[in-house]
Amino acid sequence: MNKNRMYPTWFIFGALLLYVVLYVLPSVMGIAYSFTDWSVYSQEVHYVGLKNFQTVFSADYNYNRMLGNTFLFTIVTTLAKNVIGLALAVLLTKKVRLLNFHRAVMYLPCVLSALIVGMIFKAVLNPKIGLLNMALRAIGLDVLAKNWLTDSKIAFNSVMAVDIWKGMGYIMTILIAGIMSISPTYYEAAEIDGGNAWQCFRHITLPLLTPTLTVTTVLNVIYGLKVFDTVYALTNGGPGYATEVLYTGVYKEFGLGRYAVGTTLSSIMTVVMLIVGYFMIKHMVQGGGGEA
Amino acid sequence: MKRILACLLAALLLLGTAAVAEGTTITYMASQDWVQDAEMELGEKFEQETGIHVDYQIIPSDQYNNMLMNKLNSGECTDIFGSQAGQFDIVTQLNVEKNAVDLSGEAWAETVDPLAFAETSVDGKLYGQPVQDVSAVWAIAYNKKVFEKLELSVPTNYEEFKAVCEAIKADGMTPIYEAVSDGWHHQLWFCELGVAIEHAEPGTAEKLNNNEMGFADSATAAQLVDQIKEMVDLGYWGDDYMSNEYANAAKAIASGECAMTVANQGFPTEINAAFPDFPAEDIGFFVMPLCDNQVLNMNPVGPTRFIYSGSANIDAAKQYLAFIAEPENLQYLIDNVPKFNTLPFTTATDAYSDEISAFYAAYPDHGTVYQTSVKYVNPQWMEIGKELTAVLLGDETTEQMLKNIDRNRADQAAAAQDPAWN
Repeated sequence: MNKNRMYPTWFIFGALLLYVVLYVLPSVMGIAYSFTDWSVYSQEVHYVGLKNFQTVFSADYNYNRMLGNTFLFTIVTTLAKNVIGLALAVLLTKKVRLLNFHRAVMYLPCVLSALIVGMIFKAVLNPKIGLLNMALRAIGLDVLAKNWLTDSKIAFNSVMAVDIWKGMGYIMTILIAGIMSISPTYYEAAEIDGGNAWQCFRHITLPLLTPTLTVTTVLNVIYGLKVFDTVYALTNGGPGYATEVLYTGVYKEFGLGRYAVGTTLSSIMTVVMLIVGYFMIKHMVQGGGGEA
Repeated sequence: MKRILACLLAALLLLGTAAVAEGTTITYMASQDWVQDAEMELGEKFEQETGIHVDYQIIPSDQYNNMLMNKLNSGECTDIFGSQAGQFDIVTQLNVEKNAVDLSGEAWAETVDPLAFAETSVDGKLYGQPVQDVSAVWAIAYNKKVFEKLELSVPTNYEEFKAVCEAIKADGMTPIYEAVSDGWHHQLWFCELGVAIEHAEPGTAEKLNNNEMGFADSATAAQLVDQIKEMVDLGYWGDDYMSNEYANAAKAIASGECAMTVANQGFPTEINAAFPDFPAEDIGFFVMPLCDNQVLNMNPVGPTRFIYSGSANIDAAKQYLAFIAEPENLQYLIDNVPKFNTLPFTTATDAYSDEISAFYAAYPDHGTVYQTSVKYVNPQWMEIGKELTAVLLGDETTEQMLKNIDRNRADQAAAAQDPAWN
C-alpha cells in the first residue's frame, strides 16, 4: 500500500455531512432557539432578543445556585476522583493478592446505570431505615447518623460522594493503564540509587502520569459540567433547590414546556464548556499533555 | 451441543416474534398510584377478550409530570397517557386538542359525570376518561382511638388543632405523618386550602386568573405557609417527614407511630386492607383547619386517561377505555380498590360508609381547590412542593415562595400568550 497516496478532499464530505447534520446543526439551532419564545403553548416561534437571557440572569431565577452547584460538583468530583483513582491505581499495580478481583470490584460501580445507583443509594441513605444510618447506630455512632439526602446542608455533599464512588473506578482503570505504560527501568534505577516508595511515586510515577491525569481531568470536568442523571436520581434537585444543577434546570424547563428558557440554559452551558475545553486543550497541546 | 442450543434459541426468538405479531400491544403511562392492581387485572381480562395486551408503564410520581411533558412535546408518547385533568390545564398544559384524541363519540362518553366531563373537555368535546374517585377530598384522617384515649375532639380552628397536636406529641406519638420525599403530597396543605384563602378573601381565584393580584398579595396565603412551617418547627410532622413516603402512611397510622395524616376517604378501607386488625371505622376525618378553615375542599378533577393523538393504536386504545367504562368493570374497580368509594360515571354505584357520609355532611360550605380553580397552579405542582420544602428547611422565606409561585405562573401565562398577562 502506498503510504504517500493522497485521497481526494471530497472523501470527507460523507463524514462532514453527518457531523454537520447530527452535531453542528442541532447545536446552532439550539442556540438560535434561545433567542425565541419557543414553548409548548404556542404554535409559532417568534424572535424575542435577549429576553430569555434576562429571565435566566434575573435575581429571582435560581440560576446562580444552579451554576454554583454545577461548578462545585465539577471541582470536587474531579479532584476526588483523580486523587482516589490515583491512590487505587498505585495500590492495584503492586503485587497484591487477587489483584484482578480487586480491580474488578473497584471498577464495578461505573458499569451500573446512574439511575440504578441513585435508587440504591436513596435506600442506603434513608435516614430512618437506610443501611448507613443503621450501621452507624449499631456501632454507637448515632451522632453521625444524618439526613443524608434530605438536609439541605448535607444533600449536595451526599450526591457528590455517591458520584465519586461511582466514577473513581473508571479513573482508576485509565490511570492503571498509564502506570503500566511507565518503563520499569525507571523504578529499577531509582531502587539502585536508594529511592524509597514515596520518592519513586513523587519523581517517577507522578510526572510520567501527568498526560494521563490531564486526560482524566478533562473527562471529569466535562462530565461534571454536564451532570444530570446522578442528581436527578438521588434528589431531583431537592430538597427545595439545594442540589439543583444546570441540567436539572434544563430538564425542569422542558418539563414545564418553556423550551426556549431550557435551550438558553443549555446554550450558556455550551459556551462555558467551550471556554473551559479550549483552555484545557490548549494546556494539553502546550506541554501538559505531551509525551513524557 | 452448541448448534442445538443455537437452533433452540433461534426457534424461541422466532416464536417470540410470532407471538408479538399475533396481538397488538398498547402502552399506557401513568404516575405511581394511578393504575391500581384491580385495573391491571381488568387489563388481563381485556387481553383475554380482545387479544390486545396492555403494557402499563408506571413512573415515580416525583418524575411523572416532567416525563409526560417531555414525551408529549417530543412526539414520543405512549398510546394512552395519564394526567391530571382540569379545564384550564388540559388546554394550556396538555394541549389536548393537538395531543389527545376526541372521545366524544364513544358510547361511554355520555355516562361521565357532568362535573368530571366539564373538567376533561374543551368546547364540549371530551378528551379524557376519569381514572379515580373524584368525590373524595384530601382531609385529615385521624385515629379515633387516639383521640378517645386523649379525650380530644375534632378541631375547628388552627389553635384547637395545635392543642390537639400538642397533646398527641406529649403522649409520645408523632401527631402528623407527612411525606415530603414523594414531592407531591405536602403541598396539599397549601393548594387544597385555596378554599380557606377564597373564604377569607372572596374573589381571589378570579383575581389570580385575571392577573389582578398574585399569591404574594394574599395575607391568607402567607398565613397558610407560615402555619405549615410552624407545624414543622413545633415537631408536629416528626423528625422523618423529609424522607417519609406516602406509601407508608397506612403503616404509620396502623402501627400507632402517628395519629393523623392527610388522606382521602379511601384511606380507612386501604388501611384495613393492609392491616386487617385495624378497623376501617377507627379512622375519622376533618378538614385541614389551617387559617381556621371549615370549608370542604372539593376537587372534581383527578387523574385521567387520554389517548395520544400520535398513537398508532388509537382504535385499540379506544377499546380499552370502552372496556374499563363498562358498568361491571367500574363496579369491579369500586369493589376492589380500597380508596374508591365511587367513580365519576352515572353507571357506577357508590359504596360510601355512614362515617364518610357523615363527614361530608359535617361541612356544608364547599369550595373548589386552587389547583383546579386557579390557572397555572397545577402545572407547577411539583415546583410548589419544592418551594414549600425550601421554606420548611429555612432556605427560603414565605414571601419568596409566594413570589416564586407568582413568577412561575407569569412565565407560563406569558408562554401561553394569556391575554391577562400580555
